[in-house]
Amino acid sequence: MFRKVLVANRGEIAVRVIRACRELGIRTVAVYSEADRSSLHVRLADEAFCIGPPPATDSYLNIPNILSTAELTGAEAIHPGYGFLAENPRFAEICRDAGIVFIGPTPEAIEAMGNKARAREVAQKAGIPVVPGSNGPVHTAEEAATIGQRIGYPLVLKASAGGGGRGMRLVHSPQDLTRAIQAASREAEAAFGSGELYVEKYLEEPRHIEVQILADGKGNVVHLGERECSIQRRHQKLLEEAPAPGISPRLRTNLHRAAVRLAQAIHYTSAGTIEFLVDRDENFYFLEMNTRIQVEHPVTEMITGLDLVREQIRIAAGERLSWSQREIEFRGHAIECRINAEDPANDFRPSPGTVRGLVLPGGPGIRVDTHVYAGYTIPPYYDSLVAKVIAWGRDRAEAIARMDRALREFEVVGIRTTIPFHRLVLENAFFRRGEVYTNFVQRRIDLSALPR
Amino acid sequence: MSGERAFNVEEIRELVRIVSESEIVELEVETGNLRVAIRKARTNASAPTPQALSPAPPAAPVERPPEAPPSRWVPITAPMVGTFYRAPSPDAPPFVAEGDRVSSGQTVCIIEAMKMFNEIQTEVGGRVVRILVENGAPVEYGQPLMLIDPED
Repeated sequence: MFRKVLVANRGEIAVRVIRACRELGIRTVAVYSEADRSSLHVRLADEAFCIGPPPATDSYLNIPNILSTAELTGAEAIHPGYGFLAENPRFAEICRDAGIVFIGPTPEAIEAMGNKARAREVAQKAGIPVVPGSNGPVHTAEEAATIGQRIGYPLVLKASAGGGGRGMRLVHSPQDLTRAIQAASREAEAAFGSGELYVEKYLEEPRHIEVQILADGKGNVVHLGERECSIQRRHQKLLEEAPAPGISPRLRTNLHRAAVRLAQAIHYTSAGTIEFLVDRDENFYFLEMNTRIQVEHPVTEMITGLDLVREQIRIAAGERLSWSQREIEFRGHAIECRINAEDPANDFRPSPGTVRGLVLPGGPGIRVDTHVYAGYTIPPYYDSLVAKVIAWGRDRAEAIARMDRALREFEVVGIRTTIPFHRLVLENAFFRRGEVYTNFVQRRIDLSALPR
Repeated sequence: MSGERAFNVEEIRELVRIVSESEIVELEVETGNLRVAIRKARTNASAPTPQALSPAPPAAPVERPPEAPPSRWVPITAPMVGTFYRAPSPDAPPFVAEGDRVSSGQTVCIIEAMKMFNEIQTEVGGRVVRILVENGAPVEYGQPLMLIDPED
């Protein structure tokens, strides 16, 4: 096992990784930007190094300074968390060349799944259904029009290098194609450095269901069940739960099997998530694979009782998976609410600032992952996640009741948060019946009901 | 200035930290008759210039005799994470020692990062009044390495 791990991230996930390391008896090195001197991960780590000015490109994405820090402190491995360098194959490769273990998959696996058009081809080859669309990238409007004729409208243009909804366009008719391709390509170029696009059929009211897998690189691959992540806004997940409510046992088994098959096909190592879209008739389609630990991993931890970050570190250290598929048991139901520094009553406008008062919820079945404390100033440079509240119950109704109770207890003074939004979702009758889909927020949530 | 209570390195570092994290462009702190001034090295024409601060009236203009010009020590900070070296090689003499005069653009130390030796130059000329880091010590980004008195 490693003696020292560098955590190349900030915020709640840096705290989460430090916690896992400490339980494994591993010393930790935090890196931070000048804007994060007073951040909790800096305080919790055994050592901390400033690696640059506030902009992420100069600090949390500054590969030379991060590697220098690893070298100076004698860290044997780097945990990238999520975001920043977590899915950068070049960084994983540089770590390997420098003799530092990257806690995650191989650069080859990151690369293979990072290009969305290529990932589709890989999934297809592994016999996993994909949303009808182009085989690989599309370069001209004519090409896209031919595909449109075959699969029908509406269709979606997506960025090959993309994610998070950028470089994405919904196209209703062939006349709109040329303009949509130009706009999406420009946006993708600006966001990801590549304007390459591919085409998919647009599914009406699909659900977003993903499967967590773990692989040790020694031939052992297990799934840890699925997560329902349909409650989104502008393609950003806001509330996730496990297991997915109201799906048939057959669909559940098929999703799990497909995820394991894909992981095996690409000889995957470490934790990963395979995302699927599921339509109303329970047809499922491969969407993409995330080759990192995800924000919503705690809901899986709550229903399995396992520690995914600990397992990532063990696998990176060359150890075998701690359990076989048969030994993994699923118990109860878990929900996660992402508490962001955003004002849901004002179009989710960012609300950075100083947290003057903070009362965190607790009690039975509640877990809170956060880097925020009273007096902490949320810097405006990074993402708006301030806390994750996770509720566990013996069944979904109990998890909802506990979450609702926890959000009432949760007090944050000084900034606006998404807590009132989550309370609206929790009391929504459709949500309570488990009737969710990716446009749930637009269709079912009346944001004007929020207190201003 | 000998015999006066001097700022220790940690205190100066803390001051630099306060300035760099805030909107403050210039900060002066005085104890006894030792004074440390920290100015942000920004040459952005559109940014507010220190002029806004400089006309601040002295606290007690009548009682005090006019003071000597304040010493405005300027820190040289580490532009990268790495190992600090005072000399080009283990047997060579150090680039500078406390009390030396330096001119702007002169190499004052080396930071080794990724097996590369990066010569660090001072942007201001003056006298090296303090070397804040031990030879061979790791330095983080923005860490003050030396203090230069530009008016000496």
